[in-house]
Amino acid sequence: MRVLLVEDHAELADTVAIGLRREGIAVDVALDGHDALARLALTDYDVLVLDRDLPGVHGDQICRSLVAEGRDGRILMLTAAGSIEDRVDGLSLGADDYLPKPFAFAELVARVRALARRSGSQQPPVLVHGDLRVDPANRLASRGGQRLSLSPKELAVLEYLLGAHGRVVSTEELLEHVWDENVDPFTTTVKVTIKRLRAKLGEPPLIETVPRGGYRI
Amino acid sequence: MRAPRRLLDRRRLRLPRYTIRLRLAVLYGGVFMITGTLLLTLVFLTVRSSTHSSVAAAQGAAAKLVERRSLHVAPPGGPLSVTPESVVVRHAREQAHRLGALAVSVNNSDLHHLLVWSLVALAIMVVASMAFGWVLAGRVLRPLQLITGAARELSASTLHERLALGGPRDELRELGDTFDELLGRLEASFEAQRQFVANASHELRTPLTLERAIIEVTLADPHASAASLRAACQRVLAIGEQQEDTIDALLTLARSERGVERSEPLALDALTGEQLEERRGEIARRGLRLDSELQRAPIVGDRRLIERLIANLLDNAIQHNNHDGWLRVASSLEAGEALLTLANSGPAIAPEQVAALVRPFQRLGGERTGHDGGHGLGLSIVDAIATAHGATLTIQALPAGGLRVEVRFPDADVGPRPGPRALTRSRDTA
Repeated sequence: MRVLLVEDHAELADTVAIGLRREGIAVDVALDGHDALARLALTDYDVLVLDRDLPGVHGDQICRSLVAEGRDGRILMLTAAGSIEDRVDGLSLGADDYLPKPFAFAELVARVRALARRSGSQQPPVLVHGDLRVDPANRLASRGGQRLSLSPKELAVLEYLLGAHGRVVSTEELLEHVWDENVDPFTTTVKVTIKRLRAKLGEPPLIETVPRGGYRI
Repeated sequence: MRAPRRLLDRRRLRLPRYTIRLRLAVLYGGVFMITGTLLLTLVFLTVRSSTHSSVAAAQGAAAKLVERRSLHVAPPGGPLSVTPESVVVRHAREQAHRLGALAVSVNNSDLHHLLVWSLVALAIMVVASMAFGWVLAGRVLRPLQLITGAARELSASTLHERLALGGPRDELRELGDTFDELLGRLEASFEAQRQFVANASHELRTPLTLERAIIEVTLADPHASAASLRAACQRVLAIGEQQEDTIDALLTLARSERGVERSEPLALDALTGEQLEERRGEIARRGLRLDSELQRAPIVGDRRLIERLIANLLDNAIQHNNHDGWLRVASSLEAGEALLTLANSGPAIAPEQVAALVRPFQRLGGERTGHDGGHGLGLSIVDAIATAHGATLTIQALPAGGLRVEVRFPDADVGPRPGPRALTRSRDTA
């Protein structure tokens, strides 16, 4: 899952980003409205965590233009303006969820995950495929009842492949949705991660390599 | 105990309220009654005197006619001779007499009728004029009712409405227009208040959010080391201090706006000197050139507030300065008015931005949150303290960059205006 966090308070943005990354979520940070719009134009984010009061372009304006473009990603407004009127206002603008500050970090994570599930096709909270069971919220994966010890990236890749429902997922797509901007595009990290994942998943093999296409489960 | 009360209500006489409308109506009726009575009296007297004189004239003429005829008719006979002519003459005289009496009585009854009908007509017209006066007064006084109604309905949520009275530009219209202006000023001040509260709550919530995020994210890390926990605690402590500063500043701002409570003679030069001494280290650290000229400048005011004013101005001048810049501080006395002047080098500021600097939470560059730890209230507090002391604050952007700030205190012998700001004073800010 890839998230864009737009927040003008640098220390807060960094802290939240660190926390989200620890949850296995790829996070990019934008400190003002212009930067946010530029990144949104380049990348397809699953969830946009948006502060309303931004220098440059106001958060409300960003929300409006995204809704007007009919983008797929979900918007969560994270802002100090927390009165009922503010919430109604924000949701009416097109936000999918609204979380006033100060907020509980666990709640932010839960809401972001909930929105990401809805992004694109409907996804159940726990993904099941044969004897493979993946619970992203609790960071658990098991096969045949046995707990699998996966790194955050491996778990994220597995979650994404399962979410694709048998569709072929290219390396680029994985890079875009599971890694954040701080990755070298010519890297072999995807191949390495898939290899490690296959090793941990064991027999029978689940991940199929499609020549010149990508991977699929 | 309802029944006795109801009885009381029924028995209580409901007199019409002694309103202006009633007074005007009674006035119209009264004036009309007086002038009407005078007019009718004059008419009556004129008619009576003229009819009397004509009746008397007629009587005289008739008597003369009878006399002439009797002289012609009656021979100079003896008193015992009763001739038919003297009977005729006597008859004629009696006729004339009766005619005269009849004329008088007719005249009297005419006059009586005139009197009666005049009084009746007067009564009717007085009532009519009072009624007419009542209606007219109501029309003229309607703007007053509108104003009263509007003032009654007034609340924080209806301040955007205006009376917008139409009609001729008379005194009532002027009252209505003035009332509208008052509403405008009220609305502006309520809006400023709302804005301030919104800004203040935003300012206080941001560090709270950060503290919470730091603590939660750190605790959520299952592999958190003692070092990272310690680092998180220290960050939270620093943020807490920032919040304390902000709250302190907000309270000072509120206190300054309330006005000067304690007043004592102070030496502006001495206080400025003390504040400068405290900051010598910081000035040296930043490599700033200090040029200070503190002449005797006595003022009257609140010591703590004046110290805060000087401190804020100095801190501003020091922090928003270039490295290796300069700082000039001077106090002087000009025609009895104490003057504190600060000038410093620094980033260029557009003249339009200068006015915004005294607004609460406004920082250079327009960011709402303090990245450098400042809370953006410094100059607002200076402004409020200056106003409370009756001093004028002037801020100018220097063409080469930086600011020049001047605080001009009123004559120490006259003293500052105690209490909240007067409604009629205006402030000068460049």
